[in-house]
Amino acid sequence: MKDTLTIALSKGRLLDDALVLLRKAGIELAESDTNSRKLVIADTQKRFQFFMLKPIDVPTYVEYGVADAGIAGRDVLVESTADIHQPLDLRIGYCRMVVAAPKAAARQNYRELSAVRIATKYPRITTEYFTQRGVPVEIIPLSGSVELAPLLGLSDRIVDLVSSGRTLAENGLQVVEPIMDISARLVVNRASYQIKRKQVIDLIDRLAQVVEK
Amino acid sequence: MKTLTQIPLGTQLLFGKAAKKRRRIERTIFSVFEHWDYEEIIPPIFDYYDVFAKGMGAELEDTIYRFIDREGNVLALRPEFTSLVAKSVATRLADQPKPLRLCYCGEVLRYETPRGGRQREFFQIGVEHIGGEKIQADAEIILVAIESLKKLGIRKFQINLGEIGYFAGIVERIDFSQGDLVKIKKLIDLKDTAGLKAELERLSLSERRKNIILSLVHLTGNSDTIKTARQLVSNEKSLEALENLGALVAELKKHKIDEHIAIDLSEVRGIDYYTGTIFKIYVPGLGFEIGGGGRYDNLLKNFGCDLPSVGFSFSLERLMSLEN
Repeated sequence: MKDTLTIALSKGRLLDDALVLLRKAGIELAESDTNSRKLVIADTQKRFQFFMLKPIDVPTYVEYGVADAGIAGRDVLVESTADIHQPLDLRIGYCRMVVAAPKAAARQNYRELSAVRIATKYPRITTEYFTQRGVPVEIIPLSGSVELAPLLGLSDRIVDLVSSGRTLAENGLQVVEPIMDISARLVVNRASYQIKRKQVIDLIDRLAQVVEK
Repeated sequence: MKTLTQIPLGTQLLFGKAAKKRRRIERTIFSVFEHWDYEEIIPPIFDYYDVFAKGMGAELEDTIYRFIDREGNVLALRPEFTSLVAKSVATRLADQPKPLRLCYCGEVLRYETPRGGRQREFFQIGVEHIGGEKIQADAEIILVAIESLKKLGIRKFQINLGEIGYFAGIVERIDFSQGDLVKIKKLIDLKDTAGLKAELERLSLSERRKNIILSLVHLTGNSDTIKTARQLVSNEKSLEALENLGALVAELKKHKIDEHIAIDLSEVRGIDYYTGTIFKIYVPGLGFEIGGGGRYDNLLKNFGCDLPSVGFSFSLERLMSLEN
């Protein structure tokens, strides 16, 4: 059995913050590697192996145990419903998941409508959110540039992540209501937590110490 | 018609090498069961829904395939074997001398999303030990599990032992609503300390109780974990659970299998009928457990015959997926 712990990292908005956090925890990745197109990277002391993945794929790799652990936003964790441990809130990648709409639509309470049409990258969360409120929802599943959908008349509203709110504002959208707060979590495969307990607990402890309080 | 050639999600077809491998695994395991005097029982694939509903518990109940017969009775495809075996023992086999050692192999059906090692139709092979002395019986079936794995050539594995009574004792005297308890269990199961902290805060528990529940999340390790766990509690039920677990560990020590045994008191999820010892078996390289089981001392009572019992099963699909 190999003793290296494998860790799935999300490329994109989370990566830089995650690398800073790992470095503070004494786990260094060479810049020549992180700036390259390599998908499998070892840390400089070769104790860990990192996989560079699309954020939405991180929970899957960890659920199947291909990666022992991973760093993923709460958005993709909730959306994927992967059956994995989530032992640590890393307090990076803060943002909110919200319902947003163009100004005119935002003024109208969607609860008064017979149905809403929502463009989103998060069909599962969106469906649950609206059905819990008794509003039938038609999902337009998109994989990017969700803000464009209401502008072109593809949907009435969107469900997406907002951090500064600039993208929304620049596209003439405003927040209708928040759905949940998002931050990144350390996630761990169930079997790895048991079989590689020492290494996993060591990783959790190291990161817990450097997470901003 | 499209459905003529389509395959329903979560079903499988085995042929050629795979079918041979599967039968070989079954025969190997059955030879071990037989050696330990377990007799095969072949229960029906469907029975009345009520037979299963209670034992599965609120969380898994929804996964049962149910249907209505022509008289209007609610029936169900078996989602597990233990309830069927318990029913048979409490009725047809009530007169047989105890302990009863029974084994089974066959498909079970649950409506689950096929992913992460789960199928809708999957195969279990396992044993039930009914009406025996508790610690002895627990130890015996764990030894049966270990021997089965070894006979299959699986040398590296870990058996995580837990005790349902430990957590039950802790929450027993807290006034949780059913919904709150489900939420707390789920957060413990996810090891989501942050979420758990927030939830406990909301329920305004005492500092001491909050700390016990938060400590539970990482109560895993070697036999020292039992000592740590003992320091946390003072209620009788939890203490008794730890005593049982300690006795089981001591019993297993006699058989020199320490390297395979770990303690996990954070395990709070799963089928509702478990009452005492529970365990899960992990093999390196597989992201989910390969089998597991536990003690169900109250299940037979539902069928009118009060006998302590314990059992376990392996997932045949997951055994198949291991490299030789």
